[in-house]
Amino acid sequence: MNYFELFGLEADFSIDLTSLATTYQALQKTVHPDRFAHSSSQDQMLAVQKSSQINDAYQTLKNPVKRGEYLLQLRNTELPEEQSTFQDVDFLMVQMELREMLAEIKFAKDIDTALMSAEETLDIQSRQLWQEFEQLLGQHSDTANQQAGEVLRKLKFYQKLYIELERIEDTLFDD
Amino acid sequence: MAYSDKVIDHYENPRNVGSFDKNDPKVATGMVGAPACGDVMKLQLKIDDKGIIEDAKFKTYGCGSAIASSSLVTEWVKGKSIEEAAEIKNTAIAEELALPPVKIHCSILAEDAIKAAIDDYRAKNKE
Repeated sequence: MNYFELFGLEADFSIDLTSLATTYQALQKTVHPDRFAHSSSQDQMLAVQKSSQINDAYQTLKNPVKRGEYLLQLRNTELPEEQSTFQDVDFLMVQMELREMLAEIKFAKDIDTALMSAEETLDIQSRQLWQEFEQLLGQHSDTANQQAGEVLRKLKFYQKLYIELERIEDTLFDD
Repeated sequence: MAYSDKVIDHYENPRNVGSFDKNDPKVATGMVGAPACGDVMKLQLKIDDKGIIEDAKFKTYGCGSAIASSSLVTEWVKGKSIEEAAEIKNTAIAEELALPPVKIHCSILAEDAIKAAIDDYRAKNKE
């Protein structure tokens, strides 16, 4: 049973995160240790295994990049190796500029506005990539799946940028 | 995770941070990135007409190991010919900085940055 099936979902990229969370709680209840207090040790162990599987599935489906990769794996797409170096110069130039934009925030006269406009820039660019990703997924061809994998690699850089933005926000409002 | 003293030294006192004009014909630029951790690295080499690297600068956004790897590389390549610089292996970088296994990819990124810069130089100078 794959992660989507485990959650009673079609293997589709767009999912409702609220109902995913509800299903997760319900599934975890069915394997809660309290329910197996009087069961055989084998059944207890199976419940623990099931619980960890439900957890893995939830963590994968909840995160859009991980969900995208998982979906591509289900389609037998060979994803680029995790550690392999990314060499798209134009894309990396933009990444460099975005990193510089984030590093400049703390020097801005109006920090709130700088934070908001930085977030908006990330939103606009990543939204475009997500649209491209979904459009490629919709084509259901090996080539498109592979291209979708490349788009996901780019989106990982944006995930990192959002984490960095959050970190900057925390340090600016901490003191 | 504990960083080695050498990583901390390069992280706190990075050598040769900055940029050259990438349109200068003597300047070669290598841009590389690591999707797994979102690191972005730019390595620039200033190469004289005998093919010797006279200066190097870097700009890296990433973890301490990525910054240390690129900083170290700028020190190592200076005075080398491009052929010699192309021979620099990530294992030597990782060894010098005592990088733990989970950070080996940072040294690979630095090696790839040298290669990318040399490719850029060759592309710029082929007539």
